[in-house]
Amino acid sequence: MTNDTGGMLTPEEQAAFEALPKTREPSRLAEERTVQALAERGLLIGRRHRGRWRGRIPLIAAGLAAAAALFVGGVAVGQWFGSRAIADSMAAAQHETALEMAAAVQRTGSAYVTALAALSQLADSSSNGAVAQGREAALTALYAAAYELVQLAPDDPIAVTIRDRLDNLQREQQTEDEQSVIRHVVWF
Amino acid sequence: MDVTEQPRGSEPHDRLLADRVSHQGDEFAFRELYRRHTPRLYAFVLRLLAGNELDAEDVVQDTWIKAVEKLSQFRWESAFGTWLLGIGLNRCRELFRKKDRNWILLEEEVAAVPCEPLHDRIDLETALTELPPGYRTVVVLHDVEGFTHEEIAERLEISSNTSKSQLSRGRRALRSRLSSAPAGQVRVP
Repeated sequence: MTNDTGGMLTPEEQAAFEALPKTREPSRLAEERTVQALAERGLLIGRRHRGRWRGRIPLIAAGLAAAAALFVGGVAVGQWFGSRAIADSMAAAQHETALEMAAAVQRTGSAYVTALAALSQLADSSSNGAVAQGREAALTALYAAAYELVQLAPDDPIAVTIRDRLDNLQREQQTEDEQSVIRHVVWF
Repeated sequence: MDVTEQPRGSEPHDRLLADRVSHQGDEFAFRELYRRHTPRLYAFVLRLLAGNELDAEDVVQDTWIKAVEKLSQFRWESAFGTWLLGIGLNRCRELFRKKDRNWILLEEEVAAVPCEPLHDRIDLETALTELPPGYRTVVVLHDVEGFTHEEIAERLEISSNTSKSQLSRGRRALRSRLSSAPAGQVRVP
């Protein structure tokens, strides 16, 4: 209890002080900034801060795989979406805000789907190798994207189902053929 | 009012979360701890800083950084939230001290005003922002947060008599501002 002095508070004054709000929410960005500041000091090791490369590997894999898919599609579609531009935008996005990152996801997602659609239209018997390569790159990117989506929203049933299903398929594939599912991806 | 008041059962949970942050750098545990305690810390700091939201968010961030750095040294002899408020208070003191080394002893001539009831919460909040930081800090600690003069003296490194006199002056200054504010012309911070 307080030991009051210096002019007692009237009951009304005391009530006015007690009515003052004791909590207030800061901006959502304040939490992100604090987490980032702690991570930069090595005081937090979250899912997005586990070492310099560990957390980025799926992202880089997704970027490279998407670039490979684009390259295959780009044989016919032209130079619409250069793989280097995708990789550069993914790298640059690491330093941008959440809003810009969300926009980058939308841009690269559209590029991914567009390239796949173009590849689908151009697929014929003469391009089986390229189509298979594009398909594998697309699957790898899809798996990496599902993995990241689950990290972002662990309770999202769709993301979890896609990741788990792809996990199962990958295990089945490895059982049948003891090679990695991404064995044909061209890393460049 | 007891400054160490916490919801029942929150302390063991705080400790569990704090251990995970301290030993494993667990981001999820930190976020939970942050969301549990930041609303109170932010309201407290914002009031001390006279409603300056930018400074208040900076202070909250600095407070958490300092808290995580010192987490392993925290002995859990007080509530985690109270410890956090103490760190936030120290950061605010540093800001005040940058502007005036004698901020806590700042005196102001205040005309004696008979006790007039503080009817309106907004009136009171606005009047608090207009107080000199030395008065405001003691009034907020004592009348809003419920600290005793001994606790205020220890935290501000002053004597409890100084705390009492600053509270007395702070209340008079507050009443003076409230009585001079034209009715219906309340400035919201």
